[in-house]
Amino acid sequence: MSRSSASVDVRGPRFAAWVTSAVLAVALLLGSGWVVAAQAVVFAVGASAGMRRAPYALLFRVLVAPRLGPVREREPEAPLRFAQFVGLLFAATGAAGYLLGAPVVGAVATGLALVAALLNAAIGFCLGCELHLLLRRAVPARTA
Amino acid sequence: MDATGLIVLLAALAVTATVAWWLRARSGAVRAGGKGEDGMDETAVLSGLGVRPAEADLTVVQFSTAFCGPCRATRARLQQLQRTRPGLAYVHVDAESHLEEVRALDVRRTPTLFYLDRAGRLLGRSSGAPRPEELTALVEAHTGIRE
Repeated sequence: MSRSSASVDVRGPRFAAWVTSAVLAVALLLGSGWVVAAQAVVFAVGASAGMRRAPYALLFRVLVAPRLGPVREREPEAPLRFAQFVGLLFAATGAAGYLLGAPVVGAVATGLALVAALLNAAIGFCLGCELHLLLRRAVPARTA
Repeated sequence: MDATGLIVLLAALAVTATVAWWLRARSGAVRAGGKGEDGMDETAVLSGLGVRPAEADLTVVQFSTAFCGPCRATRARLQQLQRTRPGLAYVHVDAESHLEEVRALDVRRTPTLFYLDRAGRLLGRSSGAPRPEELTALVEAHTGIRE
């Protein structure tokens, strides 16, 4: 049914979500637009090049996976890529806010990205994935 | 240290904890159908989708999207239950190609499940992935004993 049959070890994205949360928390504490911008680039790579090439996934494969047991569960890549894209929108807004002199906008957008990343890390809830249907519902049907 | 950032960080942690708690409590919890005294509207919409509850003891209708990890696990679970429970019928609906019905049924999350008995009554609905043991218990309660 899905166009791309690519899948990843479920533990990879969870690990990536924890790293993302830590990076965004540091960005908030430092009030640093550049740290948010760096995270935005990470999201952009994940969304465009795929989760297997995403920087934190690389970190997972090299540092974490060898210490864990064999892969028990895999999940499709498409939802994750979409979620990375949603993350990119928030992080880009956050970075722009900080760097263009609207630090409150920057902090709030970064905070929202942090909530999404933490929910993913802690309970495996994918906010970006859930938003997708709500958006499709809200937009009137296009001509098929 | 940035004061605004610290406040936002603490707020984000509080929001996350609240949402996580809410999701844990609500995901997959079966509630009564929303519309009409006896769920008339919902069953009409479902029958428009080709759902034929008279053909099984319990019919489970699942709305899914491609961008939904938990949908796959729920679908696999139900298909597995189907193998040992002939009284269970399973209908899978791609939410994104049935947006009219998604709006009519007020489906907000995926997976959203509708449970119908043989008489076509809506037993309940749930949104978010149900816990495997609760799903199994529900299916067993309605397909276990034949009258």
